[in-house]
Amino acid sequence: MNPADLDRDEILMFLNTPSLDDNLNAVLDTCIEEVCTAAQPRTVYRVLPVEHPAEGGVTLGGLPLEGDDIALHLTGCQEAVLLAATLSAPVDTCIRRAGFTDMTRALMLDAVAGAAVERVCNDLENEIRAKYPYPYFTARFSCGYGDFPITQQPALVRMVDAPRKIGLTVTPHCTLLPLKSVTAVIGMSHQPVKDARRFCCGQSCAECPYHEDCPRARL
Amino acid sequence: MDFRTLLQNEYVFLDGGMGTMLHLAPGELPERLNLTQPERVAAVHRAYREAGSQIVYANTFGANPLKLAGTGVDAAESIKAAIRIAKDAVGEDVCVALDIGPTGQLLPPAGSMTFEDAYESFRVMCQAGQEAGADLVVIETMSDLLETKAALLAAKEHTDLPVIVTMTFTENGRTFTGCPISAAAMTLEGLGAAAIGINCSLGPREILPMMQEMAKWTRLPLIIKANAGLPDPVTGEYFLTPEDFAAIMPEYAACGVQIFGGCCGTNPDFIRAVCEKLRGTKRGRRLLTPAAAVCSGTRTVLLDMPRIIGERINPTGKKRMKQALLDGDFDYLRGEAISQTAAGADILDVNVGTPGIDEAAVLPQAVQAILEVTDLPLQLDSSSPAALEAALRIYPGKPIINSVNGKEESLEAILPLVKHYGACIVGLTLDENGIPQTAEERIAIGRRIIERAEALGIPHQDIFLDCLTLTASTGESGPSETLTAVRRAHDELGVQTVLGVSNISFGLPNRPLINRSFLAMALQSGLTLPIMNPMAEGMTDTVRAFRMLRGFDENCQAFIAAYQDMTPNAPAAPAQASGDLTLGGAVIHGLRQDAARLTEDALKEHEPLSIVNDILIPALDTVGADYETGKVFLPQLIQAATAAQSAFGVLKQHMTAQGGGQADKGKVVIATVQGDVHDIGKNIVRLLLENYGYDVIDLGKDVPPQKIVDAAIQHQVKLVGLSALMTTTVGAMEETIKLLHEQYPECKTVVGGAVLTADYAETIGADCFGKDAKATVDYAKTVFGDE
Repeated sequence: MNPADLDRDEILMFLNTPSLDDNLNAVLDTCIEEVCTAAQPRTVYRVLPVEHPAEGGVTLGGLPLEGDDIALHLTGCQEAVLLAATLSAPVDTCIRRAGFTDMTRALMLDAVAGAAVERVCNDLENEIRAKYPYPYFTARFSCGYGDFPITQQPALVRMVDAPRKIGLTVTPHCTLLPLKSVTAVIGMSHQPVKDARRFCCGQSCAECPYHEDCPRARL
Repeated sequence: MDFRTLLQNEYVFLDGGMGTMLHLAPGELPERLNLTQPERVAAVHRAYREAGSQIVYANTFGANPLKLAGTGVDAAESIKAAIRIAKDAVGEDVCVALDIGPTGQLLPPAGSMTFEDAYESFRVMCQAGQEAGADLVVIETMSDLLETKAALLAAKEHTDLPVIVTMTFTENGRTFTGCPISAAAMTLEGLGAAAIGINCSLGPREILPMMQEMAKWTRLPLIIKANAGLPDPVTGEYFLTPEDFAAIMPEYAACGVQIFGGCCGTNPDFIRAVCEKLRGTKRGRRLLTPAAAVCSGTRTVLLDMPRIIGERINPTGKKRMKQALLDGDFDYLRGEAISQTAAGADILDVNVGTPGIDEAAVLPQAVQAILEVTDLPLQLDSSSPAALEAALRIYPGKPIINSVNGKEESLEAILPLVKHYGACIVGLTLDENGIPQTAEERIAIGRRIIERAEALGIPHQDIFLDCLTLTASTGESGPSETLTAVRRAHDELGVQTVLGVSNISFGLPNRPLINRSFLAMALQSGLTLPIMNPMAEGMTDTVRAFRMLRGFDENCQAFIAAYQDMTPNAPAAPAQASGDLTLGGAVIHGLRQDAARLTEDALKEHEPLSIVNDILIPALDTVGADYETGKVFLPQLIQAATAAQSAFGVLKQHMTAQGGGQADKGKVVIATVQGDVHDIGKNIVRLLLENYGYDVIDLGKDVPPQKIVDAAIQHQVKLVGLSALMTTTVGAMEETIKLLHEQYPECKTVVGGAVLTADYAETIGADCFGKDAKATVDYAKTVFGDE
């Protein structure tokens, strides 16, 4: 990855800090460099039919998705993209090793990697938007957002054959491994989608402490 | 048909994709079809037999008990059915393979599946396959070398079938978990695979250079089973035609590949086309002897020039390491691994032998801890065969065993382990009569060790000799006999030579001078694997200079890279900050080096305890208060804590040197709960607790409830801190608290993590919700009565 691809403001947001002094900024630069060198971004996605059964809920490629929020999110969508993305194992290794030697770096590497995987998802999303003949797309929606339970993670990972295609696995407790990875659903529709809410941190934007100055807020 | 008979043919043809041919509906489980729709599976096998396949893979790729958990399909039952279906479908002339794919879980350090669980799941598969009459075992589509090893060991230890193994590499020539082709090849050959190769992930064009690389690293027959190019994300269709696919196969044959098949996207037409393409051709000749090398799961070290074996992970003469091992604290070992790696070691020796330690239990744990922080290959150092075997099982890669010697008892106990696990072995040139005085006698013992090892099938290049360094002060001929023996072992026996260098100077003044002089002499005599302290003055420098001067360092690149920023005879680095900087200021501003330096200064005038209580703690309190009021944020807080940590490091060293007691305020056990592998939050809490003088016993991540309770009771701690980041793992937190209440009710608990709230913490019975690391420290102070 290219260090210039990363959004520094977003990294600071992940670090929970509005700014850094020169000293810490210099550390951050080396962390950005380290993550970008280590990252081997890999993605896989499938376009799947969306159905809204009469009894409520929503299915994706025949798989019933749990929770009201994802059903609401995909309202009016005919198809959806199920994507999986990972920065791959070496980034986890960097963060883990820094945890034994320098917690400041570990914290920063973790934040940088968070921004990097966002970037990978953004790029993939742009590619998908350009490629498919739908006028309207929802935002990405992931397990853990709203009431879309993370217990569905294994089914989503299996559906895109992520272990085999990009080396992304899921633990019996539903953690994605490598840790710096994402799965998400993007609805595609011929009608305008009303509900493009984004849940960056498992909360709605209205509940988010950053919503006022969030560059990504889509309330 | 027998696999070994098939190998007498110029080429052997496998089948192509199974999933592709089954036309699975969304969510349909291929392994269930063995029980419900055998005819669908049988039809695929028949089609491949008709296309020319001589080996078909039974439909068992995902029939792993770990993968099938919760599906209602019994792995062994599905496997037995699958083998029967295949045998009935293809008849006697075609071999049926038990097909084993990955578990879908990751082993440490990346994941939390245990080696034993992985091994056990593969054992179930292998036994079922053998009972049902499989002709061979195939392990395929593997990414992680350790998981592959678990499967291969399970197959070798529970069946008498030949085992062939293919791994999956990405475009950078490594697997998803970072395993290079060289490491895969040498490890799998060492473990006794009958053939190895590459499958899945990419098309034949992309894999070809990787196969050319693999051919250099093994003597075994090679296998190619590529995808039909890359798939379209919408349709899932692969783009290569059977003809395009087959057209590339002669290039594989040219680099000596013998066994051909197809993976995702291929069908019987592909196999037919490959058979036709190769008919009547001859495969290329293979290189006979791969280069001498050792590896971890992620790094190969070629033994083509002197390589440094770091000796620091050894408790002999190290009070702090002994204590750390007795406490089950592996951070000290991790620290030694990190600093030796940074100092230029190529391989690390790992020895945990000390009274009171169960080596067979501790050596594998130490190996796992060290592999968390370094990629370097390891040398497993123990006199206990049980400890060596325990570590050999869980070591990902090709290690060195240190050591065997000329005693009959040692040869009998150690050499079979070397063979079974495909390791390299250090032979000590001593026997029942002790260490011979002369080089002649040592070489004779060395010869005997080599003969015995080779008789078991251990390759010559995997046998190293240690001609033993005798202390110079005990006899003037000692060093030169050692050097003569090294020379002869190197020249006459053609083996790698190992020496523990620093023994030479024992009992003499100016040891560093003797050590580096002897090192240079030994290197010149043919020493290739010095066991030494890479941080000791002049030692690594001597090896680098030797490599450069003897022509091992092309264009002096490595030497220049190591020293280009060095100024000769530079004065000691000046203090970074102005003289006005105080220790408290250094901590507040997060200046690590300054904090360490100023602590050393402060020790000249103050007692360690007063430095802690009057300077460090107040400084941390200042930063903590600023954090709480939003004047500084987490990165600054952590930086200050890290600076304080370096100050505490200096104090600890000082107190150990003085033989004084620790300034610990009390012990706290912390852990990330079972099932959870996030540990950054827990590590931050640990750092802050240590800053405030608490002795933190960090059990790591994914820790079972009972293990946490046992540690709390063993160390009689007043406080246990638990971290969980997932809604799915808060249950394990609750369970841990419940067990603590039952077995050790006087212990308090503090919990934290992204998904927790104060209310929820109360619901699960925690005594405190630590909303952040600072709050946890504040609670610790009340528990230990510091406030």
